[in-house]
Amino acid sequence: MSTFVDEKPTQNLEAFKGVKKVPHEEYYTSGHRTCQGCESAQIMKLMAKAAGPRTVILGSTGCMYVANTSYYATPWGLPWMHTQLGSSGSSALGAAAAFRVQMRKGVMKDEPINVIAFCGDGGGADMGLGAISATMCHPDYNLLILMYDNESYANTDIQISGTSPYGVNTSFSTPGKIKRIMNHRWKKNVAPLMLVGHPTVKYVGTISTSYPLQAMNNVRKALSIGGPTFIHCLNPCPKGWDFDPVLSFELGELAVNTGIWPLYEVENGKLKLYGKTEQIASGRFKRLPVRDYLLKQGRFAHFIDDDIDYFQSKIDEMWNKWLVPGIIPLQKEIEAE
Amino acid sequence: MGQLFAVEVIYRGVFQKTLAKNITRGIVLAAHNEGKLGISFGRYGDSPERNGIPAKSFAIVAYDEQTLEAGMAQYEPKQVDLTVVLDDTLCKGAESWAWYGLQPAHRALKPGHTLLVVSLEDAPSLLKNIHRREEPYKLGILKGVTSFSGMWVYKDDHTDVRVLGAIAKAVPELFSLASVEKFILEKLKNSLKVTSAHTAFARFATVEVKAGEGNPEKLFSFGKPRWEDMRGGVSIKGQPQGGPYADPVSGKIGGFRPARNELFKKYSTRTMRPVVNFSTCTKCTLCWLNCPDASFDVTPDGTYDANLQACCGCGICEEVCPVKNCISMVNESEFHDNDSQWAKFREDKDSYLKWLETTIAKAEPIEERSHGFRYRGQYQEQVPEALEIAKKG
Amino acid sequence: MATVTLPVEETKKSNEQEALITGAEAIAIACKLANVDVVTAYPIRPYDTVMQYISQLVADGEMDCEYIVAEGEHSQFEIVKHASVCGARVFCGSSGVGWMYAMEALTVTPALRVPLVCMVGNRALDDPGAFGVEHNDALAVRDLGWMLTWVDSAQEALDTALIAYRVAEDRRMFVPLAISCDGAFLTHSQALVKIPAAEQVKKFLPRYDRGDLLLHPDNVISVAPQVNEDWVMEIRRQNYAVTEIACDVIREVYAEFERTFGRKYGNPFFEEYMTEDAEVVLLGMGTLSTPVKVAIRKLRAEGKKVGFVRLRWFRPFAGPELAKCLERFKAVGVIDRDFSFGSPNLSGVMATEVRSAMYTGSSTRPPVIGFIGGLGGREVTVPDVEAMTDVVFQAAKGKAQPLTQWIGLRG
Repeated sequence: MSTFVDEKPTQNLEAFKGVKKVPHEEYYTSGHRTCQGCESAQIMKLMAKAAGPRTVILGSTGCMYVANTSYYATPWGLPWMHTQLGSSGSSALGAAAAFRVQMRKGVMKDEPINVIAFCGDGGGADMGLGAISATMCHPDYNLLILMYDNESYANTDIQISGTSPYGVNTSFSTPGKIKRIMNHRWKKNVAPLMLVGHPTVKYVGTISTSYPLQAMNNVRKALSIGGPTFIHCLNPCPKGWDFDPVLSFELGELAVNTGIWPLYEVENGKLKLYGKTEQIASGRFKRLPVRDYLLKQGRFAHFIDDDIDYFQSKIDEMWNKWLVPGIIPLQKEIEAE
Repeated sequence: MGQLFAVEVIYRGVFQKTLAKNITRGIVLAAHNEGKLGISFGRYGDSPERNGIPAKSFAIVAYDEQTLEAGMAQYEPKQVDLTVVLDDTLCKGAESWAWYGLQPAHRALKPGHTLLVVSLEDAPSLLKNIHRREEPYKLGILKGVTSFSGMWVYKDDHTDVRVLGAIAKAVPELFSLASVEKFILEKLKNSLKVTSAHTAFARFATVEVKAGEGNPEKLFSFGKPRWEDMRGGVSIKGQPQGGPYADPVSGKIGGFRPARNELFKKYSTRTMRPVVNFSTCTKCTLCWLNCPDASFDVTPDGTYDANLQACCGCGICEEVCPVKNCISMVNESEFHDNDSQWAKFREDKDSYLKWLETTIAKAEPIEERSHGFRYRGQYQEQVPEALEIAKKG
Repeated sequence: MATVTLPVEETKKSNEQEALITGAEAIAIACKLANVDVVTAYPIRPYDTVMQYISQLVADGEMDCEYIVAEGEHSQFEIVKHASVCGARVFCGSSGVGWMYAMEALTVTPALRVPLVCMVGNRALDDPGAFGVEHNDALAVRDLGWMLTWVDSAQEALDTALIAYRVAEDRRMFVPLAISCDGAFLTHSQALVKIPAAEQVKKFLPRYDRGDLLLHPDNVISVAPQVNEDWVMEIRRQNYAVTEIACDVIREVYAEFERTFGRKYGNPFFEEYMTEDAEVVLLGMGTLSTPVKVAIRKLRAEGKKVGFVRLRWFRPFAGPELAKCLERFKAVGVIDRDFSFGSPNLSGVMATEVRSAMYTGSSTRPPVIGFIGGLGGREVTVPDVEAMTDVVFQAAKGKAQPLTQWIGLRG
């Protein structure tokens, strides 16, 4: 451990070696008022299971607050506290700081407690981005910030956020008689933002609920590695994306297989792609056309072929032109004078 | 004070939200064609709706402003002249987004008035699910497939106007069929829909349901604590941990049944339920692992039993199960309990497997499923105007 | 501006030191003595010198706490809010629009029962930009369940900070508390302050014990689940219960303070100056007390029977007690270093609350004239006070006066 920062030990959470080794204990149990097929609830379940009982959860406003704890009830078998929409970064820091100092002063049992703050894309990529960024710079505190991304402000009945896809139908980006496409913004690249902007962060990664074992193991890795860490999960949302809930898992896979959602982790500066993403990058798997993914969702029902082609071109660019495909959008070739 | 009319529409959240609003708006506008005044509203507490979780929409109509105001002085009407149930599995009762505890479909229905259910089933079938009550009422079935849409794409199968036609028959004092026709022609500008409304009116019939007739299930409900007895700091106790449980036949303790939130049981969200073949299960864990609602009990055998108090019927388990016909989603309304399937399997394996075979055979394949989306996410049949606009760009 | 007299008696307690320090430093020292656990800082004038002092104390090993510089006031207050729920004794602070930037965090701390003690360096809300005193920042939370107190000397600042922890962390209370210090006058001018000994403070302040509201793996609770109209009334009623006993708790703590440290504040809620035989009184908060007292001595020498009531606690507002005090005067002039545009009679916040207390709490209804002055740090001068006193005497004589008057204004 470095003497130039003041690190404390973390829990040593080893990877689950296969689905049959995943413990049965549920720390996020049944009885939450989420939609049928809610993958955001699924990542809560997996995250809680991965973290285990010596954990404190801070949950910022969103579906995983309102649709979890309504009304005056809870699915959490871990200590959980609601925090404000933009406060995932600050709440994690506050909890970590409080435990640290009380242990140092000998008034609290000295043990590594997992501190996890979660946010939706609205609370994380938009409102709370500044607070998360600040927290990522504090090497002394061990914590994980997990962003569950259903590509909208889902809890307020689906509005665009900074991670909503181009052109998507939401109640703030409704296709109409004159404007078919109201949202020109391309999805914010949040995990790379955390990675590149905070050089001392030891772990940043993306996960998917369609890769549950890897998702849990990445959470465990982030909690064990020390310092502030960040994980971004893509969560298909049958309500906001408008599809039959039965397709929730399949759409998660399609997002990866089309190259739209790259799976990777960066551990101490070393990048590793995994799952189908790794096969896409190495050429062993051909990216599926984005059409296969977009047209399964009613939120793109207003797309015409031109829109789909545009979307495809951006994904192609992401894989063919970016310095680090899928991750860092700098152009590879530097043009000569 | 003149007469006040109220109609309640119980529906599947998100999937039928546009349909429900169309109906309650249609009620007000049809009644307005006869000079009445009205208001159409959902409950703010039902917002935002969640897929499948029951929600309610209302129409209140009166002859004069003061009576209308009297009707509006409550968050929702305590007594309604007619209740519309847009998905027949809601006959099992609704624990809606805004409320706690299971409410029977006819909770607010005035004695002797009509419960209108959109269904392909018959009355005796539905009455196995509809809870018994102390007052008699009428049950009317509007023959039809459950009409589901999504958040953004509304699939118009005329259910809205058919319901209006049926209401005109059931509550003629509220509005006449002619008023419905006028509403359709002026506001919806669709003459095909007029035919649908007429047909529904002509065919709609009710049966008398006697006091005490129906499902004997006792509905769960909650009391609420006084402020002095509430924990401070807006805090409540968290969930305890689950543990192993006993095989109903051998008594052997094993497996794992999670503790679950006792304050919200999600089963009234189901339109379909998973039925499991415990003998072909390969114990791959995928159903249990991928269930967002942690609905699966790990049986002492190491197989996975969808706990029907917790399961909300999303169908992900069927999708991820690698074994054909091991998990199958089937129509919920044919079931009248939430008992453990694994217990039944343990008690009489052969009879369970026979029952399973016939049940699965009856089930519709997902492409044609009536409970759930009409299409597997393919939105090829957009309404013509929208497609025109889309082409213009 | 140094205070002339300390509103306290000389102490005979041993181990007290005397130092020449600002109000901000006095509060920093109080935090050190209180063994605060987590402090969050963010720069905005004029409160932030307290954070500069704390930084030095931490660096010099005189204070052991987590000292975190946030990236904005919203995060600043959110960090300590959560640290408190996780068991830490916390300190925070802000001024003016910085305080407003934290408003979301400030709003929820009372319901969450967070004993967050903080310093507000009262400052004008800018725009229009100014660093000078205005009380609207701290007053903005007056309806939300916060405790609010105003001090007028560095000594009072230190003492009140210690009292604040004891009051806020009382299990019957567990609500946030803001100590308002007029920017510049109090935060930046150095006065002689008696600093109690650490052992004495340790006796006075037991460790913060959150009990079964603590967020920790050994206590599996869910804090702040979503509720609806079925629960909010009852939750608010719990905060109401706090306000019903807040005055009693404050009295207990001041009495305990006196026993421990020997310094006597008398009535915790307001200080009376030359009111015994006064015909009229002025009422105000904070450091305008100094020019007011100086002016009163001058007026007394001229034979005018005027006194001054300095409000210490704005929340809880000791309404019945204040009404009983004020009803014996022929007229009252309230000096509001704040504004409340559009209020009844267009008066400032304090005048409106005083009138409200008088309406129910007193059998006499002396005229209450509201003066708005000193905004943005404008000096409230001795001549200003003399002029206000004149107006109040006119009112006392039955001569109708505008109920709200601006003092020290050009125009």
